[in-house]
This record gives sequence, structure tokens and C-alpha cells, in this order.
Amino acid sequence: MSERIKIFRWRAVGPLLVLFVIGCVLWWLFADTIARHESQKVGTSLLGAKVEIQYLHLDLAHGDVTIKGLTIASPHEAFKNLLQADELVADLDMLPLTEKKLVIDRIVANGLRFGTPRETDGRVPAESGQGIAGTVLAETREWASRFQVPVLQLATGKISVDSLDPRRLSTIPAADALSARADSSRRAWQTGFDTLRLGPTLDSAGATLEQLRNARATDLATINTARQAIDRLKRARDRVTTLERNVKTGVAQLQAGLAGLDSARQRDYAFARGLLKLPSLDAPDIGAAVFGPGAIKPFEQALYYAQLARRYMPPGLLPRATTGPSRVRRAGETVRFPKERALPAFLLRSAELSFLGYAGRLTGLTSDPALYGRPTVFAASGPQLAAGAMLNHTRGVPLDTAGATVGGVQFPAFDVPGVPLRLDPGAATTQLGFSLNGDTIHARFAIRSSNVRWTRDSGFANSAIGNLVWRAVSGISNLDVETRLSGALEHPALAVRSNLDQAIASRLRAELGTQVDAAEKQMRARVDALVNAKVGPVRARVTEVQTQAQTQVAQQRARIDELQKNLEQRLRQLMGGVRLP
Amino acid sequence: MFTLIKLIQSLFGALHSEGTPGQLAAGIVLGSFLGLTPLMNLHNAGIFAALVLLNVSFAGGMLGWALFVPIGFMLDPLFDWIGHTLLLDVSFLRPLWTSLYNMPVVPLTNFNNTVVLGSLVFALVFALPLFFVTRWGVARYRVTIGERVRQSKWYRTLMASKAYNVYKLFKP
Repeated sequence: MSERIKIFRWRAVGPLLVLFVIGCVLWWLFADTIARHESQKVGTSLLGAKVEIQYLHLDLAHGDVTIKGLTIASPHEAFKNLLQADELVADLDMLPLTEKKLVIDRIVANGLRFGTPRETDGRVPAESGQGIAGTVLAETREWASRFQVPVLQLATGKISVDSLDPRRLSTIPAADALSARADSSRRAWQTGFDTLRLGPTLDSAGATLEQLRNARATDLATINTARQAIDRLKRARDRVTTLERNVKTGVAQLQAGLAGLDSARQRDYAFARGLLKLPSLDAPDIGAAVFGPGAIKPFEQALYYAQLARRYMPPGLLPRATTGPSRVRRAGETVRFPKERALPAFLLRSAELSFLGYAGRLTGLTSDPALYGRPTVFAASGPQLAAGAMLNHTRGVPLDTAGATVGGVQFPAFDVPGVPLRLDPGAATTQLGFSLNGDTIHARFAIRSSNVRWTRDSGFANSAIGNLVWRAVSGISNLDVETRLSGALEHPALAVRSNLDQAIASRLRAELGTQVDAAEKQMRARVDALVNAKVGPVRARVTEVQTQAQTQVAQQRARIDELQKNLEQRLRQLMGGVRLP
Repeated sequence: MFTLIKLIQSLFGALHSEGTPGQLAAGIVLGSFLGLTPLMNLHNAGIFAALVLLNVSFAGGMLGWALFVPIGFMLDPLFDWIGHTLLLDVSFLRPLWTSLYNMPVVPLTNFNNTVVLGSLVFALVFALPLFFVTRWGVARYRVTIGERVRQSKWYRTLMASKAYNVYKLFKP
């Protein structure tokens, strides 16, 4: 009888237990370090900017995590931090950890500081497009770049006239197209007219009329032939009516084409004006040119965080796939399966923030808003600060709103684009209002300062326009800028208004208005010279074609009507007023 | 080079061990799980414990692991596709994944990662054919050229190295 093979290798239990104990000891020794590294890695990946932690301690027995020296770099500015915190103490709910869910009952954060400088570039996805944060960053950058901010080109004060290339004018190809359409219409109408075959009908009706004139009332065959001729004339008139309708439609289209030529000419005027590099004299354009580039940035940043929140906190309960953990093997995708009445994968019930005498509170930050059932709410207040935000992703259409008023913000001085001036807004009060409802955005950013300082760029001391603008603004010590954004997220309308617009615009108009008008007149004349040579003959051709077609139709209709009238009149004479069946 | 020598030592050590072909094949199958699936996952702790505790060839396990690591890397795109299909495209499995995802401990296995699930499913499906083919192959080897290899000079040289002594600690 063969010896029974043992299934278990009991002597291996000892080494396995030793291995387990070694594992526990290693965990005890390195858990904090591992958790710190992992937190940094995950945080960096989530935010798209470096997250650094100086010290992290896990106290799993009490469910506490203590973080000291937290630094989160700004994803938008190279040498700036988004925030720094001296200490964060988190109170974890331990049971959900067994489901790989992180539920934090409460976080207390002390010593928060915002916008502090840093020595190294903290932006991670510099090349953009990597991971969710990188993708969102690239998307919002692309979104911000779509705004066409007008440029003030006043630095030299000269009006430069670039050569006007006729090939770039839209009126000329439009005129060619209209000419071809007129010829095509003429041919179509002629074909239509030929297919009417009115000649035999009219000749036959004419001959019948002659016979009828010599006929008597008893000549029933002739009378019958006359009646048939009248029927043929009626049918011919119907065909002419149909053709006439076609001609009318075609003529209307040609007329629209002529109107289109006028619109194209207006576009060519605008294009030529652009070539002239004329300074804009409209106040809104000046406001957009001076403050537009800087004013889009706050919207871009607010949109970045809103879109990031939408990616990490999507509405609904459908499975969500995200890139898996980075490892030597392929990362794959990690899919979450939220379930009703279950805990979210991440939930921060409440966070209390304190910084420099300010206090803030954040509640309901979660990866699965539909499970938590309440929006994420943030509020902060303090001297010269009032801020609030709400991320409501509990329904199908997410709604993200934020508002903040901050006083005493020291903005850096900046060069005013296009003019040799530097503006130092000083300590200003800023307001930001942001609402992203589904794909509709409404946002407002305002800066108010009563202590602005202007400096001139000495390199442009002799610039006439520079002097002009300097005289217009140097006496202004108040700054009031408001930027508004509204409409569909893909193509929102940007409006910039400031108290400087009108001052600069009126001064420029007074000084440059005559020059600008003369230059515009000159450029219009050049456009007209190029366009009229082409448009004139086309206009005449269109008129000729439509007149010819209308005349032809009218003549034939008149002939048909006359013959029918004569035939009917003669028939009535023969019948002596008696109507035959 | 040292790794290669160790691998060859493991291979011949396992083939000429006192374990049955079935024990060796079972070890290789368990090792293939370690090699095919991403290593740092909870299920692999269970596989390793099974390899140690069950009376299977530990050397075979190490051999299977070593052999299947490169195959795992190569087949990662396939695993990703299998996992993606099972997790997201097969609708009738969704309630199962949802239940598992919201259960204690199970999510710690990372079953909801496409590569982990795909490779695990592949390894499970591949396990039985691998077991039978390996068992047959080892048996054939032992009755045909096994004894001649054991008597050869190069085999004795190979097995005399220190690494073999380490292996002997865990021989079945």
C-alpha cells in the first residue's frame, strides 16, 4: 500500500510566522515613511503640483493621522505654493479602511498660508496631458488661449500700412462665384423656356383663331377645335407660371448674392483695417487690451479646480475608471463601483481651518457626491476676507459656485500691454464670482484700488502715443476693473470694463481720430479699387440675366393671354351668348 | 548571469527533487500566479502562503515565478483588455463587482484593477492546462533522460554551488 501524500507542510508554519512577524516589524518601523511617500505621490498626482510632507505619523490605534509641514505647490505658477500648513490632524474612521475606503471624520488644520514663494518649480505636468490633473490643466490652458484679446499697438505711434493682397479679399472670390451662378441661372432658365415649346401652341391657336373668324355658329367642329386650343393655351400658361416662379426664386437668390458682396466688402474693409495696425479707439477694446490677459487668469484657475472637482467627484453612480497605480507593470485602469447606501471611496466629513486670524470650514468633500447626498461646502471669513464655495454634484447636472472678496491684496506691478507704461495697483480689493452650471459659465472678477502708481518706460520717452497715454492716465489714482465672462463654456463672451478705458479712448480719439479716419479712408479706397473692377461687371451681368429672363417670361405670358382672350371673344360672338356644354 | 545560473539550478533541482511530478507541477502553477499577476497584491500573499504551507514543490514555485514574470510583462496589454472587458463591458457581472467592491477586505486585493483582474483570470484559466502539461512533461523527463542528466559531470558541478544548498532548505 502506497504512503499517503501529506497535503500540508506543517514545518513551514514556523518560518511563515517569522516572515509575518518580520513584516509586522517592518510595517511598524516604516509605516509612517511609506504613508508619507504614498500621500505625497497620490497628492501630487491628484493636484498636478508637488505635494510635500515633512512629517507624518499614523496612530491607527486611535485612528489619528498627524501631518506636519505640508506644502502644496501651485499648478499654475512655477515658484509659488498654493498653500502651506504647519499641522493637520485627521481623525479617521477605521472600519471603512477594510473596504479600502478613506473616511475622515474631522481634520483640524493650523497655520495655513497661501501663495507663499518657493525655490523650485512645483508644477508637475509641465508637459501637460498626463493623468487627470495634466489633462484638465491642458484643457483649461487651451480654453483660456481661445480668448481673442485685442492688442494695443501704440508703441511707435506710426500707422503702418501693409501691402493689401487682392487674393486675401473675400469680395473677389464671392463676385466670381456670383457671376458663375448668374450664368448657370441664365442657362437653366433658357432650357426651361425652350422646354415649354410655346411656339407650336401659339401658332396652332393663331390658326384656329383665323378659322373661327370665318366660321358660323353651326360649324361645330371649328368651335370644338377653338375650345381645345383655349385649353392648350391655359396649360401653356400654367407652365409659364411655373417657370416664372423659378425665375423669381433665382432672381431672389442672385439679389441675395449681390447683398452678400456688400457684406464681403465690409469684411474686407475690416481686414484691411487690421493690416493698417490702427490703434483701437473704442473704450471696451482698450479695457480688454490692457486688462484682458491678466483678467483671464483667475477664471482659468477657478475653472481648473472646478473641472478637477468634476473629474474626481462625478455625479451619478456609474462605474468610474481611472488610471491605475504607477508600477513597473502596466498600470491599467482602476474601476470604482459605487453602491447606494454604501460609503463613498473618499469622504471628508468636516475640516476646520485656521490661518492668520482667519477661520474656515469645509464639509462633505467626497469622491461620490451621489452617495453622500449633500454638496461640498466651503466657507472662510476674517478681517478683509469673505469666501465661500459650493460643489453640488449630487444631481445629474453639476453646479459649482464660488465667491470671494479679499481686501488688501498686494498685486504685483505689471507692464500695460502695448503702451510704455507700468501700473502698480498697490493694495487692492478683489472680488471673484464664479458659477459653472453644467456647461454654462458666469464669472466676474473685479479689482478696486485707490492707490495706483504709474511709471513710464524711459525707452519710449519720445513716443508721441506714449506721451499721450501717459497724460491720460498719470493723474488717475483710482483703479476699477471688472471682467465678466458669460455663456456656454466652449465659447463664453468676455467683457472687460475699467475706469481707464474711457480716459485713454477719449484722449486717443481726440489726438489720433483725424489720422485714423484718413488712413481708414485711404484703405477703403484701395479695397474699392480692387473690388469694384470685379464687382461692377458681375452686378451688371446679374441685372442683365434677371431682366432678360423676366422680360422673356412676361412677353410669352402676354401673347398667351391675348390669344386666349381673342379666341374666347370670338366664341362668345358665334354662340350669341349661349353656352354650349 | 547569477540569476540565470540560479534559474537553471532551480529547474534541474526541481526536476530531480524527490517530489512527485504532481507536486512540481502544482508548485509551478502557484509560481505562475506570482509571475503573471502584479506582485504587490493581497492575493499573492495568499498564493505565497499556499506555496509555503502546501506540500508542493517550493522550487517549482520559484521556477514558475521566474519563468512567468517576463510572460506577464509581455501579456499585460492582453490582461488589461480582459480586465477592462470583465469590469466594464460585461453588464451582467456588474452587480458582482459592485458587491465585491463594497465588501470588507476584497477591495484590498485590487481586483477592480483591469491588469490585476485580467491577469488573475488568465492565470486561473491557464492553471489546469499548465498543471497537466507540466506533470506529464516532468514524468516523461524522469523516465527518459533524467537519470543520464543526473549522472553527468556538468549537472554535479552545477548542483555543488552554494545556491543549491539554499534551495535544499525548501525542497519537498
